[in-house]
Amino acid sequence: MTILSARELIIDIPGRSNGAKLNLDLAPGQIWGVLGPNGAGKTTLLHTLAGLKAPRCGEVWLDDVELAAIPRREMARKLGLVFQDRQDSFPATVLETALIGRHPWLSVWQSEQAEDIHRAEAALGALDLRELGERLLNTLSGGERQRVAIATLMTQDPAVWLLDEPTNHLDLHHQVQVMRLLSACAHREKGIFMCLHDLNLAARWCSHVLLLYPDGQACWGPTESMLVRDALEGLYDQKLIELNKDDIRLFAPAND
Amino acid sequence: MMRALTILTVIAALACALSLAVGSVTIPPGDLWQVVLGQGDTLDRTLLIDLRLPRTLSAFAAGGLLAIAGALMQVLLRNPLADPYVLGLSGGAATGALLAMLAGAGMVLVSGAAFAGALFATLLVFGLAHGTGSWTPSRLLLTGVVTAAGWGAAITLMLAITPAHQLPGMLYWLMGDVSYARLPWPSIVVLMLAVIALLPLARSLNVLARGPLQAAALGVSVRPLEWSIYLLASLLTATAVTSVGSIGFVGLIVPHMLRLVLGNDQRVILPASALAGGTLLVLADTLARTVIAPEQLPVGVITALLGVPTFLYLLHRSR
Amino acid sequence: MIVIRVFVLFLMLSSHVVADVCATDDNGVELCLPGPAQRIVTLSPGATELAFAAGAGEQVIAVVDYSDYPPEAEMLPNVGSHTRIDLEALVALKPDLVVTWVSGNPVEQVTMLNQLGMATFAIEPRTFEGVSSVLERLASLAGTESEGYAEAARFRQGIAALAKQYRGREPVRVFYQVWDQPLMTINDEHLIGKVISLCGGQNIFGEMARLVPRIGPEDVLAGDPEAILSGGTDEDGNSYTSLERWREFGAMAAVAADNLFIIPASPISRPTPRLLDGARTVCEKLDMARARL
Repeated sequence: MTILSARELIIDIPGRSNGAKLNLDLAPGQIWGVLGPNGAGKTTLLHTLAGLKAPRCGEVWLDDVELAAIPRREMARKLGLVFQDRQDSFPATVLETALIGRHPWLSVWQSEQAEDIHRAEAALGALDLRELGERLLNTLSGGERQRVAIATLMTQDPAVWLLDEPTNHLDLHHQVQVMRLLSACAHREKGIFMCLHDLNLAARWCSHVLLLYPDGQACWGPTESMLVRDALEGLYDQKLIELNKDDIRLFAPAND
Repeated sequence: MMRALTILTVIAALACALSLAVGSVTIPPGDLWQVVLGQGDTLDRTLLIDLRLPRTLSAFAAGGLLAIAGALMQVLLRNPLADPYVLGLSGGAATGALLAMLAGAGMVLVSGAAFAGALFATLLVFGLAHGTGSWTPSRLLLTGVVTAAGWGAAITLMLAITPAHQLPGMLYWLMGDVSYARLPWPSIVVLMLAVIALLPLARSLNVLARGPLQAAALGVSVRPLEWSIYLLASLLTATAVTSVGSIGFVGLIVPHMLRLVLGNDQRVILPASALAGGTLLVLADTLARTVIAPEQLPVGVITALLGVPTFLYLLHRSR
Repeated sequence: MIVIRVFVLFLMLSSHVVADVCATDDNGVELCLPGPAQRIVTLSPGATELAFAAGAGEQVIAVVDYSDYPPEAEMLPNVGSHTRIDLEALVALKPDLVVTWVSGNPVEQVTMLNQLGMATFAIEPRTFEGVSSVLERLASLAGTESEGYAEAARFRQGIAALAKQYRGREPVRVFYQVWDQPLMTINDEHLIGKVISLCGGQNIFGEMARLVPRIGPEDVLAGDPEAILSGGTDEDGNSYTSLERWREFGAMAAVAADNLFIIPASPISRPTPRLLDGARTVCEKLDMARARL
């Protein structure tokens, strides 16, 4: 069963030729990782899949309905996104920020109920942020803010999770914590789709990988078949060495 | 949340009571009470009901309108420095109104022209400041300040070519003045309708404050919301300007102070702005008409004296 | 005409009978009072002067800022400035006649006074006859006809005498400087312009469209005035304006002949009986100018 699919999709990056048409199917339980060098269009792809940016051609389907035909609020109940950049122009507390994840679930006249607050607090707890609930966002570190953003998505609780470099700014412990959390979510029938820079996180946690090249070419499939040293060296234009230990595959830049 | 609004309502009521109780003519408290009871002598009744009451209500409504307009502009531009006066909305509204007055239009047309002027001024600032990039604070402020100066010049030009006998009635567009305020009821009705219309939008505004992409991802139809806010802010500014001229900085000071105390939940901030903005202008006007009585100061002087330091402080802190 | 009818009517009735006194103001609105006004407030310095000149000085109970003539007026309570009136203070004085200034008082505040049931009478003399007429009308409303009508007649005769005296004199090109920075003058519609014509002067900016046009120094040079006048000394004779800047243009006829005159400000600039003094001064100065050319 597919919850989110791209059909003959070409993302719109000004000045770039069409490249490969993407035909992706994200099913519940899967974790997709998008790998590619800077400027390959990873963020644009994520925004296109979330309906925030129109594709050059092709379609995105969510739950067997074309994305363009779904009202925004309904879409936000099924699909959520963690952005790479966030605007914090006004002071807001951590708990308030997590609570805006409930926005698509509340009608115009409703305000957040105890249950909504409970969900937000649970999400903050899952990301070690429970004690920071009343802190102002602009007093947090970059990593803490990254976790608040993920907690907000968790509070939103959609079926499809799109994440733009969710491990940015995070220390090793919290990188692993976030990947474990996402993996646990996938077990609860969520479909996860994220951009990553860390090959080793992708190798370890992703079920599927999409390699996105700067010229628009792309290939995708199950992680084992995609994370091949030759392909990755071509992708990043960087010589790599591959290590295997305790069933964990690791890639590292080679000495020239 | 309800507690904050209750406290603000009480303060607003006290401010209005003070504004009614004091003036350049001293009425003993006992006589004031007689008037409240529907008795008292004719002069006291005239002073209180015909002179002070409409003026107090006009000041309250205009203050509320400007504070809400400021709060809305700030969310719309995601910048706490936005204010209808600083961004030239008031100037645009005043220019529109003056043009209509020069053409000999009636009161309704003058109000319509003020609305069109405010709308056009906002469009101009938005369009120019947005350009191809995003609304950076410096770019936005520069655009706003420059267009505001342009409106100022347009107003001066019109005043220069206005026949002398129309001048005194027009000068107050430059510096807001409640002493010329017309009927308070239109402003009060607009203020109440605005608060009612905004309450269901307030949570969406909270999300919009996090940026348009984040808002869209959380199910907000960003474009329609932004347009309604923009239209509403222009309408509120125009209503205030047609009633009391272009009074500055209420839209800047009030939401800022409220956010310091109450946080940035628009469901609280918007009604609180109406109350606190009204209170501020009522107090400022009470000061303006009593501090060197019988000489009367334009209330815009008082708000500017309060607003300029606030603005500079905000600008300083935003670096 | 109405004024005269009112007056005649008034004379026909015995002064013991309480009767309406009526007059039409400069907006064309007729005002009727149940009897002569006893508590008058004047909302411009000129109105104050006119009320006193009409013989109603005793009845004036409050004035606005800069009501400095006659000196008694300075002792009276004040109700703010003419652009921003303290309505409360005004209402509390319970006046039975408020003399307003057509183009000087804010329309909104005057409207408010009318809504409160105040008797307002708007004045703004724009001609010599207008000054006399206002004096007569104010006198009618205040019940001081004998003084007011005499003063009106004195002013009328004084102006007529000047007109007769200076008719047919050699024309002198005149620049009247209202203000230095920005440079402002008056056209022929303005009372000062009419005074200049009366004295045989020829206002070089007489044809301008605005009553008080703003001009540039080049326009003055191009007009080559033979005399430059400015109302610029106060009641004590202290000068607060200067015409010295024009001295550097030696080719200008007025400078070559040393025809730069600063004259007392308020007699020439207020539309009151003192305008007769102002007009006499202007005529004398222009005569001097003629002699020096």
